[in-house]
Amino acid sequence: MKKTKLFSVLILLSMSCYMVRAADAPQNLAIRAGRIWTVTDGVIKDGVIIIKNGKIQAVRKKPDVPEGMKLLDFSDRDVMPGLIDAHCHIGLSLDIYSEIDETVLAVTPDMQIIDAFNPLADDVKKALSSGVTTVLLAPGNKNPVAGQTAVVKLYGKTTRDRVLKRSGGVKFSLRDDALMSDRRPTSRAGLLALIREELNNAKTHKDDKPDLRIEVLKSVVDANFPAYISAYTVDEIASALTVIDEYGLNAVLIGAEEGDEIAQLIAKQNIPVILSPVLLFSRDKDLKRVVKMADSGIKIAFSSTSPRTPLSDLRTSAITAVKYGLDKEAALKSLTINAAEILGVAKRVGSIQRGKDADLVIISGDPLQPTSTVEMVIINGNIVYQRQKI
Amino acid sequence: MVIGHKNIILISSLILLFTFTISFASQDIAIRAGSIITISDNPIENGIILIKNGKIEALGENVVLPADVRLIDANDNFVMPGLIDAQSRLFVIDRELNESRTIAPELNILDAIDPFIKEYREVLAQGVTAVCVAPGSRSLIGGRSAVLKLNGSKNVDRMVLKADATVKAAVGVSAGNSSSSLARLEHYSSIREALIAAKLYMQRKEKADREMAEYNRKKAEYKKKEGEKEPEKKEKPKRPAKFRTNPGSDVLVRILRKEIPLQVEAHRVTDIINVLRLADEFGFTLILDKCTEGYLIADEIARRKVPVIVGPVSTSFVDIPRLEYRNHNMSNAAILSKKGVKTALGVSGRDGASSKFITLAAAMAAANGMDKDAALRAITLTPAELLGVADRIGSLQVGKDADLVILNGPPLDIRSRVEMVMIEGKVVFDRKSQR
Repeated sequence: MKKTKLFSVLILLSMSCYMVRAADAPQNLAIRAGRIWTVTDGVIKDGVIIIKNGKIQAVRKKPDVPEGMKLLDFSDRDVMPGLIDAHCHIGLSLDIYSEIDETVLAVTPDMQIIDAFNPLADDVKKALSSGVTTVLLAPGNKNPVAGQTAVVKLYGKTTRDRVLKRSGGVKFSLRDDALMSDRRPTSRAGLLALIREELNNAKTHKDDKPDLRIEVLKSVVDANFPAYISAYTVDEIASALTVIDEYGLNAVLIGAEEGDEIAQLIAKQNIPVILSPVLLFSRDKDLKRVVKMADSGIKIAFSSTSPRTPLSDLRTSAITAVKYGLDKEAALKSLTINAAEILGVAKRVGSIQRGKDADLVIISGDPLQPTSTVEMVIINGNIVYQRQKI
Repeated sequence: MVIGHKNIILISSLILLFTFTISFASQDIAIRAGSIITISDNPIENGIILIKNGKIEALGENVVLPADVRLIDANDNFVMPGLIDAQSRLFVIDRELNESRTIAPELNILDAIDPFIKEYREVLAQGVTAVCVAPGSRSLIGGRSAVLKLNGSKNVDRMVLKADATVKAAVGVSAGNSSSSLARLEHYSSIREALIAAKLYMQRKEKADREMAEYNRKKAEYKKKEGEKEPEKKEKPKRPAKFRTNPGSDVLVRILRKEIPLQVEAHRVTDIINVLRLADEFGFTLILDKCTEGYLIADEIARRKVPVIVGPVSTSFVDIPRLEYRNHNMSNAAILSKKGVKTALGVSGRDGASSKFITLAAAMAAANGMDKDAALRAITLTPAELLGVADRIGSLQVGKDADLVILNGPPLDIRSRVEMVMIEGKVVFDRKSQR
């Protein structure tokens, strides 16, 4: 009896040691897969991905694995790059919809959202099962000039591993939410006037008086530091396009729910769109808007805008868009490489390519089928999620 | 004998009407299908469904077809029963879903149905042929639900498959997205109080009924004796006081007598346990609704054989996830059904249009561990059984209504398109005529 007990304790101990190692050491790993959705290089059948030091060292079209290398055999499974949620508020708030806006001041370009990010928050841990590995963190929609966005991974031992961009751009809001009765701006015209005023100030600013707020905006008007502009309705989008044109901004639209109405204009100015989540109570005509925008040549990416929808439904957004006519390849790109390019992190993530971070998702079937299940998530070569059987 | 002018018109119009009825009713329809997903029995490959007078007359691999049958060729297609959303908001305007009173069982959702709402066509186009619409969750006992068919009728009475399908109740649903334990206790005790009052009401009513029966018997006896030759001296029976009925209590009595199930929306474990306790105390037929944290006490729910309508499968079906969904788990339906709980799936969406995503909800439940067949059953036969309409809809069986969907691929595959929808043998949606 005692012996068996001791034995099982030993086994448990060695297992836990192993699990710690598996989670922590950026090890060398080979993944064999039935199908590899590289995104940038088509689908490879019965291939192998070789991971070294957390990076993809090779993607091979033959299923052989170098000797002595640890192998994860998913011959009957699919592998895709980690998904990218191009706009969300995960890990930022204690409760639903709070703490993502600075409501006293209207203009806060110096605010960095990364300072509010809690990597150990419950929603971050829960999101690991979604297949999303990289997210854009952004302030809310209540400030005309809201603060700096960040691009982070959902797992990482060190900040260096986790944070892809501490500051990825400045978020602006042209939405009605930015209007308040007790501070400027209180009207739509006032909102645009305020934004122009701030950008003009920054443009004419002399370096003799250091001012952090103005310097951030100066980099937006001068140095092509990206402007993420939240605009939903046609008039909001039209206003955004005007401001972008006036100041020659390097801009990305967030939301653009009615973007299909002026899709040609958006496409002509070459402005990418981070879509609002495809909500599962929309009318057919609204569901088709996404398709129209993509068909007009606009580069699109999906977002969860979590906590509005869970990160696990980022894929559902793409699936629903496909059901209403979006091209499958475009949908997969919009979940991965498009988002990476829009967020400026395509050198590291967004596709299964040699040299990129080993952020991978093992899924039970076609990524764009609602019945497919995320079975394992790998970030920087570490297994960070493994599905439990029910 | 000369037949009058008026009579001729009457007779000829009768004949005309008769022939019309005959020609409409007697046109038999046969569907030749690549795969028939019956739900109740094994699927049939390369089978035929014969429809007569809106009902399924026969189905199988070898069905003898009548001579004048209208044949629908669905050789490469899948046929399955019409889908049912047991948690729909279709046909009800959002702000009209809730009453301000807390206990209002006498309300009937049928009085709020607007058959002219256009979204129903989008829902129908996804294969949904019936919905259960219930009052909202603001009231503790909110009123009676109804099962409606999406047959396109603008007459509410013709849409109704079953009135008084359930009585909707809710415990622990937060108002204004704040939650307090005290409020939840109050919800529980208010419902309990209402049921205790209804029990007393029922006893008084039963007593009054007995007294009235007794009076009627005595009165008859008295009258009979009056007619006799030698009337016995007997006192004329006294009529008992008339019992004052109350429409709300009458509905609650029907719950206590198990004539209508009580459908209780409960999200958190504590609320679910409270509801199970209520059912133990009063012995009504319970349907758990939403049951967000049901997966945490699945064994307990299974042991009591209480059925559940799970929804939403994902919080993307609602707008802003409320507090109740804090521990929402996409495997809820999977865990409940694996533990043996009779589990239906509802969309539980923000508005009526959401019901069109019922198949997506089933697919997502399947992705999160629910058996694929169980997921399909959960949007067809199981809700029909829970709502007491399984004699009419929910599966493809001889004698049931010919409410069915023809798809060009397997139902849970996102690429599959609905080609045709039929309700009681009538084509109500045809993709070819949409373009």
